[in-house]
Amino acid sequence: MKEIEKLLVLFSICEIANKKQEIIAEQIGDLSVEQALNNKVILENLSTEEYQKVVKNYNKQSFDSMLNNMENSGIEIVTIFSDKYPKILKELDDRPLILYAKGDLSLCDQKCFAIVGTRSPTNYGRIITERFAKNLAQCGLVIVSGLCYGIDAIAHKATIDAGGKTIAVIASGFNNIYPASNTNLADEISEKGLILSEYPPSFKAKPYTFPRRNRIVAGLSDGILIPEAGLKSGTVYTKDYALDYGKDVFAVPGNIDSKTSELTNQLIRYGHAECTLSSDDIIDFYGLNKISKEKKMQLVSLDEQTIINLLENGQQDFDFLHENSKIPVNILNSCLTTMEIRGLIRKLPGKMFALI
Amino acid sequence: MLSKVLSYGLCGIDGFLVTIETDMVGGIPHIDMVGLGDTAVKESKDRVKSAIRNSGFQFPIKHFTINLAPADTKKEGPHYELGMAIGILSASEQIINKKYKDFIFIGELSLDGTIKKVKGVLPILISARSAGFKKVIIPSDNCEEAKFIDGMEIYAVSNLLQTVKFLNEEITLSKLETRSFEDVSKQNTNKLDFENVKGQAMAKRALEIAAAGGHNVLMIGPPGSGKSMLAKCFSGILPDLTFEEALQVTKIHSIAGELDLKKGIITERPFRTPHTTATVVSMTGGGNHSKPGEISLAHNGVLFLDEFPEYSRNLIETLRQPLEDGTITVARANQTVTYPSSFTLIASMNPCPCGNYGAKDRECRCTPAQIHKYLSKISGPIMDRIDIHVEVDNISYQDLNNETNEENSESIKTRVDKARNIQLNRFKNTKTFSNAKMSVPQMKKYCKLSKECQELMENAFSRLKLSARAHDRILRVARTIADLEGEIDILPRHIFEAISYRGLDRKYWD
Repeated sequence: MKEIEKLLVLFSICEIANKKQEIIAEQIGDLSVEQALNNKVILENLSTEEYQKVVKNYNKQSFDSMLNNMENSGIEIVTIFSDKYPKILKELDDRPLILYAKGDLSLCDQKCFAIVGTRSPTNYGRIITERFAKNLAQCGLVIVSGLCYGIDAIAHKATIDAGGKTIAVIASGFNNIYPASNTNLADEISEKGLILSEYPPSFKAKPYTFPRRNRIVAGLSDGILIPEAGLKSGTVYTKDYALDYGKDVFAVPGNIDSKTSELTNQLIRYGHAECTLSSDDIIDFYGLNKISKEKKMQLVSLDEQTIINLLENGQQDFDFLHENSKIPVNILNSCLTTMEIRGLIRKLPGKMFALI
Repeated sequence: MLSKVLSYGLCGIDGFLVTIETDMVGGIPHIDMVGLGDTAVKESKDRVKSAIRNSGFQFPIKHFTINLAPADTKKEGPHYELGMAIGILSASEQIINKKYKDFIFIGELSLDGTIKKVKGVLPILISARSAGFKKVIIPSDNCEEAKFIDGMEIYAVSNLLQTVKFLNEEITLSKLETRSFEDVSKQNTNKLDFENVKGQAMAKRALEIAAAGGHNVLMIGPPGSGKSMLAKCFSGILPDLTFEEALQVTKIHSIAGELDLKKGIITERPFRTPHTTATVVSMTGGGNHSKPGEISLAHNGVLFLDEFPEYSRNLIETLRQPLEDGTITVARANQTVTYPSSFTLIASMNPCPCGNYGAKDRECRCTPAQIHKYLSKISGPIMDRIDIHVEVDNISYQDLNNETNEENSESIKTRVDKARNIQLNRFKNTKTFSNAKMSVPQMKKYCKLSKECQELMENAFSRLKLSARAHDRILRVARTIADLEGEIDILPRHIFEAISYRGLDRKYWD
């Protein structure tokens, strides 16, 4: 590891602003960390408090052992000076100088696409997120999201289930996954995909780190899809970054009365986002190969066909299916479970069912 | 003069023989009461004294020592008083006949000599019968519960004078006639019927399975979706109490003093609904006298905990032992008592603090973290013991006014009874009564899966991300579903249905 890279690790631990890091990294040249700390570039650019913090945090021995520990726990450090640094991020003017990564870094150089949205989706949001993520992942897009509650988590899970690749950009360090309930999901993603963070492992998420994280989500991707988000959602930042960076923004229209569709509906109204009605819209936009329809078709029984017909107009609850299909409860119950296992439908909170 | 009279004390739900020894000597007139009695026992001497005088007998001006043997066991309650009075009267030779030595005496005395009702007559009679005693005298107010005990000569008396005359053979009393349990249990009236519950097909089916296999149920749904109503109907589809079960239930209620004395025996399965503010002790039982708590009173019946997460964490955790073993052991400084507490737990909860998460027509205002916190109030080990999770949602106005006929409890019960009989046959000569309580070796034997089923199960686990603890629960429920259909083997459709009742193991709540 280059000395300058070590310096960047030190800066990230001491929470030195990105811009200052950029200036220092440009001017400092190749000096050892000790030398650098006495260099006038650093003295000039850091405030006294920041400088004291950096000096206090630097102890060569413990610093090196910390780097070792990170390496042992599978965390890779990628700085702007490394060949592995994602090319797509290099061009951003607010690029992170350092990234901590767990998983397959080469994913960043594939065609990435972000799916982001509200933390508390409605059943509508859940089902379309799952559908879009699944279809797009099967077409070879790498799905990027933020590992938060709601749309983020659903997008990650659906991608993994569909056998696709996913990147999670987190707003905290690896040892403090937020929300903690997604820790298992994070482990799974680090095995089958990639997790990125610009914060050192022990860093805890803070309110300002979420919008910062969103710039990486937007930066990594060719386009972003917003299935469902309200006006107060953090997704607003992702959208702004994406528009700044000149990425494509897609939004799924929602119920005009629904609070969680306010942002998407407005984006469409003012022409900031493509009105997206199916995953084919995105697939066509990027000229990807569609998966053949026949592959989707599966053998279904008579009862299952009845259920599929009833669900064609959107999600329905158990009682509706029971009344209209005339299938006895026990058979209907087991039927729905089989269909879910086979990936035809999805069960949602409130005993609702929907076609994927 | 010395006299010995037999009586019975209570420890938990079992009785133990107490010998009341009365010694009358000359000296300063006084009554000494020894033998580890509580305050009620200590105060007995004054009641006994007045009752003897007011019944027209003489209370000798002598020194009495009354000993309750065995001397090392604590004794509670006023029901030794009749025995003490008989002891004093025979020591002072006002009862000449020695017939009293064969009898066990139970009863509290009033100052005027009337004999008042006491708690716990039924458990005492059962213990006395199994200890080989034949003759008992009990208060006439308690006679209904005693009528179900056969093979004993039981006499019901209403006052001290009558008792003494009977012992002196001046009058004759006829022994209590026994009643058959079937006659009484036919009078059962169930107030709430499933035919009054519109819609909710899934919840009804889940409760039917729960009743058939003795499974615990957790109902999840927004406020006002009818969770409590469903739970109340539940006891109507449970199989009838057998006589043995009824005796156990009546014993516990008799000790707790909650028995309807006119009816004498409990013929309906208990349905207990402790409030969310209930204390741990009120649930488990305990206190000075180690009285049975709510979970024991729910023995052989239903314990309904509405708004499950609102109960204190401690209280929910105390349910672990009873849910596993069907008994609760209450240890106190005085004594350690084990009460039976084998009940079906029906719990209901909202899916989130505001209650509307997942509701069709209302919006949930909770943050994901709040929802997560709320759901995690129920610990894993408790969740592990609840076989069936079922979602209940508000029904629409149209459904409410729907004229379609819903199935009534009676016909559901017929199916439940059939499934229970299959289980009774299956578990003959074992301590298990229902599929829900199957031990691991029993599960291996009775829940064998065909190769096809095993593959399906494996597939389902990976696809639906079920947790490992769900596995055994699913098998047990699948066994019950198969029993409901009268199938010998568990078929794929049974497994799939069982899986559909594992909502909270699934990850879609994130």
